[in-house]
Amino acid sequence: MNKLLNISEKLSQILVWIGGTLIILSALLVTVEVILRKTLNISLGGADELSGYAFGIATTFGFAYALFQRAHIRVDAVYNLFPAWLKLVADFVGIILLAGFAGIVTVMAWQLVGDTITHNSHSITPLRTPLVFPQVPWLFGWIYFVFCGLLLILAAIIAILRKDVRRAQELIGAKTLDEQVEEETQ
Amino acid sequence: MVTKPLLILVALIAFAVPIAASLGWLGLTLQFLDSPMPLHRALGDMMWQTGTDFLLVAIPMFVMLGEILLRAGITEKMYEGIVKWLGWLPGGLMHSNIGSSALFAATSGSSVATAATIGTIAVPQIEKRGYNEPLFLGTIAAGGTLGILIPPSINLILYGLLTDTSVPELYLAGFLPGFLLALLFMITVIILCKAREGWGGETVNADWNERIAALPSLIPPVGIFLVVVGSIYAGIATPTEAASLGVVAAMILAALNGKLTISMLKSAIEGTMRTTAMIMLIILAAVFLNFVLSVTGLTQALADFVTGLGLSPFHTLLMIVALLIFLGCFMETLSMLLVTAPLITPIVVNLGYDPVWFGILLMVLLETALITPPIGINLYVVQAVREKGEMLDVMKGAIPFVVTMFAMIALLLAFPQIALWLPSLVYG
Repeated sequence: MNKLLNISEKLSQILVWIGGTLIILSALLVTVEVILRKTLNISLGGADELSGYAFGIATTFGFAYALFQRAHIRVDAVYNLFPAWLKLVADFVGIILLAGFAGIVTVMAWQLVGDTITHNSHSITPLRTPLVFPQVPWLFGWIYFVFCGLLLILAAIIAILRKDVRRAQELIGAKTLDEQVEEETQ
Repeated sequence: MVTKPLLILVALIAFAVPIAASLGWLGLTLQFLDSPMPLHRALGDMMWQTGTDFLLVAIPMFVMLGEILLRAGITEKMYEGIVKWLGWLPGGLMHSNIGSSALFAATSGSSVATAATIGTIAVPQIEKRGYNEPLFLGTIAAGGTLGILIPPSINLILYGLLTDTSVPELYLAGFLPGFLLALLFMITVIILCKAREGWGGETVNADWNERIAALPSLIPPVGIFLVVVGSIYAGIATPTEAASLGVVAAMILAALNGKLTISMLKSAIEGTMRTTAMIMLIILAAVFLNFVLSVTGLTQALADFVTGLGLSPFHTLLMIVALLIFLGCFMETLSMLLVTAPLITPIVVNLGYDPVWFGILLMVLLETALITPPIGINLYVVQAVREKGEMLDVMKGAIPFVVTMFAMIALLLAFPQIALWLPSLVYG
């Protein structure tokens, strides 16, 4: 189980590097577009569309990473007053609802991509991008997010069965303020 | 009709369910309860459309701009440069804290990053120069909040998206209030240092030659600011394009300082993606909830409910401001913005107020939330940078600035022109 978790976390990091690289490439592309448009009055066309796709893919590629980093925001003003057992209940409810919502979105996204493939949809822009190319990796990000969510739930349940509450908290607990701040100031 | 969704939302958020899941499940629950149509069928398409929206590409760009600048090695020199210009005022370096925060805020969109960056440089100076510690810490925490008001601000983009308000107009509207607030912070420091013996510590008196010599250290942040904000108003670039130009400019700057390395880019990317994924998941859920709320007529019902209370528009507005200040004590700013903007803005606009003006007012309220105890993230950031002493010191030091922010809110209520004058010049 731990091995699977480690591999999944590593993959989420690799996805983030890919996503971040896409964002940097978009920044370069858009910059070239703006400069050409302003100086030579030439437009590459489609820089906005392509960077939109890059952004969409980068975002879903980041979901699982943010999950492992426990970066999805929770308001812990009341939570901090809970006794330990109730905190754990809230942690489980939280991640189940998060993965559940992502699951529903993923099913809908799956249908969308299915439609795209059936109808061979293209974007209604000069580029006429076949939408299947950006949408498949985008969908993959959602699927991987749900997969990692389920994996974390499972790992946390196993930790609880082994009476290792601390481990369960590491996996699905809310970040303490100290941890958050450490991240911002590192 | 209005109470049920509000109760669901409060219950979910209070139980520490992730904000994105809270908003998403509220949307799903409401559509199953109230809507005859299966609205969730539109979910996939909505996620795709919003998730690839070119306006929102500005979010990872601005986050990355900040992440790169943090690591580009420009802030320390900038801080020292500003000391030369502002250090002579009563309160000495405290003014540099505020001034550097304002300038740093003008290049990055993040309040936490601003407080952390300026704090790391400034804190060692407290003992060296004998400042009143709480007040000094307060200037860092408060100065850091300027990031969400002074353009380019990510929060203003989110507000623009959720309320269908023009982002360039919001940016223009944020200028004067942003710099006015920085000025008010400085006046607060001067008044307190004059009133209390020994709070002011050492002042730093530089002559004009030193000041001129310090100017080059201000070029990088001012340059980035001009590239980003200037290109928007010169009509060269949209906000997203301007943000992309900023990322490229920041990378060039980092390269000139010899800081553009693979490992630096790697950590900048990880920080950017973590923040972007977190923000975007909430936005996607918020957009879906927004859609459900308007289709089921709840947004209108809430507006009608508030109108039905029979209060005058101004009293209603005061009530909303009070509610937001209260929420700000417990909620983190981003979730507060995304939860309240779509619900409250239609009410305020319904009352006859300008959405651009309300956006700016909301930003000042969010800034207040950043430093109001018990949950004010900037307070914790400053305490973490400091690594010793009591949290209470930081909270005590922030109080005068909370009062200043209340004054700013009152000013905005009394003189909406502070926000609206610049946009009216440009957009008529």
